[in-house]
Amino acid sequence: MTTKVLTLENVTKRFGGLTAVGDVSFSINEGEIFGLIGPNGAGKTTIFNLITGVYTLTEGNIHFNKGEKPILVAKADPYGTGFFNDLKRRFVFRPKKPSDIAELGITRTFQNIRLFKKLSVYENVLTACHRSAKYGVLVSLLPWKLPYTNIPYPMFRKQVKQEEALNAKTEDLLKLMGLWEYRAMKASNLPYGLQRKLEIARALALDPKLLLLDEPAAGMNPEETLALLDLIKEIRDKFNLTVLIIEHHMDLVMNLCDRIYVLNFGKFLAEGKPSDIQGNPQVIEAYLGKEE
Amino acid sequence: MAWYYLEGILILCGINVMVVLGLSLLTGFTGLFSFGHAGFMAIGAYVSASLTTMLHWPFIPAVVAGGLVAMLMSFIIGGLTLNLKGDYFCIATLGFGEAIRLILNNVQTFGGARGMASIPLKSSLVAVYAFVIIGVIFMWFLIRSRHGRNMVAIREEELAAQAIGINVFRYKMLSLAASALYAGIGGALWAHYLTFINPAMFMLTKSTEMTIMVIIGGLGSITGSIVGTFFLTFLPEAFREFADWRMVVYGAAVIAVMALRPQGLLGGIEFSPKGIIKWITTSGKSKKAQVKTPVEGGKA
Amino acid sequence: MNVFLQQLINGLSLGSVYALMAVGYSLVYSILNFSNFAHGGVIMLGAYFGLYAMTLLPLPLLGGLIVAALCCGLVAVTLEKIAYSPLRRRNAPSLYFIISAMGASIFLENIVVATIGPTFKTYPTVFEKTAIQIADISVNKIDLMMFVIAAISLLILVFILGKTKIGLAIRASSYSSRGATLMGVNVDRVIFVIFMIGGVMAGFAGMLFGMRYTVYPQIGIITNKSFIAAVFGGLGSLPGAVIGSILLGVIETFAASSVSNYRDLIAFVLLILVLVIKPSGLMGKVVEDKA
Repeated sequence: MTTKVLTLENVTKRFGGLTAVGDVSFSINEGEIFGLIGPNGAGKTTIFNLITGVYTLTEGNIHFNKGEKPILVAKADPYGTGFFNDLKRRFVFRPKKPSDIAELGITRTFQNIRLFKKLSVYENVLTACHRSAKYGVLVSLLPWKLPYTNIPYPMFRKQVKQEEALNAKTEDLLKLMGLWEYRAMKASNLPYGLQRKLEIARALALDPKLLLLDEPAAGMNPEETLALLDLIKEIRDKFNLTVLIIEHHMDLVMNLCDRIYVLNFGKFLAEGKPSDIQGNPQVIEAYLGKEE
Repeated sequence: MAWYYLEGILILCGINVMVVLGLSLLTGFTGLFSFGHAGFMAIGAYVSASLTTMLHWPFIPAVVAGGLVAMLMSFIIGGLTLNLKGDYFCIATLGFGEAIRLILNNVQTFGGARGMASIPLKSSLVAVYAFVIIGVIFMWFLIRSRHGRNMVAIREEELAAQAIGINVFRYKMLSLAASALYAGIGGALWAHYLTFINPAMFMLTKSTEMTIMVIIGGLGSITGSIVGTFFLTFLPEAFREFADWRMVVYGAAVIAVMALRPQGLLGGIEFSPKGIIKWITTSGKSKKAQVKTPVEGGKA
Repeated sequence: MNVFLQQLINGLSLGSVYALMAVGYSLVYSILNFSNFAHGGVIMLGAYFGLYAMTLLPLPLLGGLIVAALCCGLVAVTLEKIAYSPLRRRNAPSLYFIISAMGASIFLENIVVATIGPTFKTYPTVFEKTAIQIADISVNKIDLMMFVIAAISLLILVFILGKTKIGLAIRASSYSSRGATLMGVNVDRVIFVIFMIGGVMAGFAGMLFGMRYTVYPQIGIITNKSFIAAVFGGLGSLPGAVIGSILLGVIETFAASSVSNYRDLIAFVLLILVLVIKPSGLMGKVVEDKA
């Protein structure tokens, strides 16, 4: 039996009176590339924000399974309104923070690119590698090497090695993503398509188990999109990833995904293999409108 | 210029550098803005002065203790506000700075509004610069470590920082605590240089003056902050007759810097002997070498 | 009982002036998402404008109020053009806005120190410092006037926001300025109007405050309390700012009668309590970042 890496159960998110996501349940198998599609405003990005802990759930729960046993990564806020419930929410309710979830092994890219704009391409990825080094704050206050040389002081050899490992990892990732030659450029000066790739590189720096891609091909031309398709498959195999992808390029989705979940107005519309989805009259109607 | 006079200004520069280094970390590298650092300076000053005058502690432990108490205070402010979205932190520091001053004004143990006098004169040039050099070294290497990079990531894009596993609250707190420690030590050194302190010295204006030094020097640059501090500490000495207009010019300068050159004088670039040599040898060529013919199209 | 009612009225009048200050601050916060710390400087200028209108020109009270309000509106709008709009065009982070606001606040305060001087000034007496007797309660005329003027201007603001087209545009922009732009709202104009409104209210507040107490360049520090009142009521909520301000005024007045030395600390204690118990304030909504 295959492991279910991510399981969403009855996931609901309401903003005031508006139900952005209503009663969505699905699970993703290990190693799968799972597509999440739907018209604009269907709640796809909201689901990403719920999985990564940016929003708290209104109802339902989300489990993440790295191997042994499922971990509850997001749970519903059980408190209602009122003064004492507010107090409880402030002091008792402890949902997992986005950073905790990222550390567990779920990382993401953003639909409206969120790079560290003023940093170089290299620094963007180097920063994201931070979990691979373990040195603490106090030790980081001190110089580790003889000034103007590369010779570490004996007591700081371990830290220097860790920092070197971070740099090596950054180099590997940038080369893999074809960004090595742009390493000195400011992230905001990169062309759009490469910025999206840089976001993927940054997300991979944490050695995730599950990678969430939010419209990675937006703004890319057809050749670039095709190259991206191969790249996603390549990184999936290389890093043993499971991928959840939101995308509007139907070519990409149909050729890439093993299974697809279709959302419409925050609700379930269809789920299945690309071939099933392509022929599904409801899906066609949601995308193209009903024929008179 | 008499050496005695110059020495005095250099000591003041050193004390200001201490406070500004902390603020540089907080504002320039982590992207948080505080109106309350005069409050942390006040805590450092009053704690250390009480320790040396009332309990006869030696100078250095008293200064460090002053810094540590200021840091403890920062945990309260930060713990309450740094995990909230919005300008809560800013407003809380504003209230904090004023509250500290008001409390000191009313506590007679510390002399009330008259403050404390006959504090031993201990902040010699050597003592102050010993603190400054250690402070610069610590800050310099902290910024270059993974922890420093994480703080910069928070400044650049908080959501993305969370998404790559950075505990935003923890790093903001770390940055605030470190800056409070530096401000506390700066305040303690100040008290032992002037030999008297009173609550009016730690008004909101003091906080903003320190922040201005960071901004003029350049957000995100330690050497910039140091250069900015020296520049703005010496400048008023040269133009004493225009003392009233000094702050007017500062205010206008801050607006102009933000509108025209937000990176400040040095803006994110650090001075280092190595860098200067490199700059001289490759000047002119360096820019071309860096920009790899980018592919056309796309926007940020 | 009489003392109680009297204190209540004093508190209400103080609170209503805080409300005038907090409104301008909250309007800007709700649309531009940063704390306009230069607002205190505008309020301080209001006190001076009113003072000079009444002593140099000399205008009657109402004329002074109008001059103060118009001048402050103009200052606020100019400030926005010079200090904030370059940042808006660049989409600069809110840190830069706060820094610019700080610069503007220093500039305004010190230009007054440098030109007019740091000395305290007082308004000419408009009314005799007598109190009106209503039944057994005696109320300072000036307190009553503060309350009435503040209440009228707040009502006009409520009307503008609720019933006019530009009011609708302001409310729409405060939900999402990007969304409002897409719906054809001219955000530049909305920002012009909110700074104008904020400035006018600041002019009223500055003048009333100056009349009640004295006029000096650091009078703008009083706005710190309106920031705290805004947090108390709910950051970014306009009704919250008004209610928070009035409550703060009342609480301060009552507490001042028992612990007068620490009168100014009360606002801070309140701020801590709010931050511990309910940071979203009385009327605030929890904000969630859009990713």
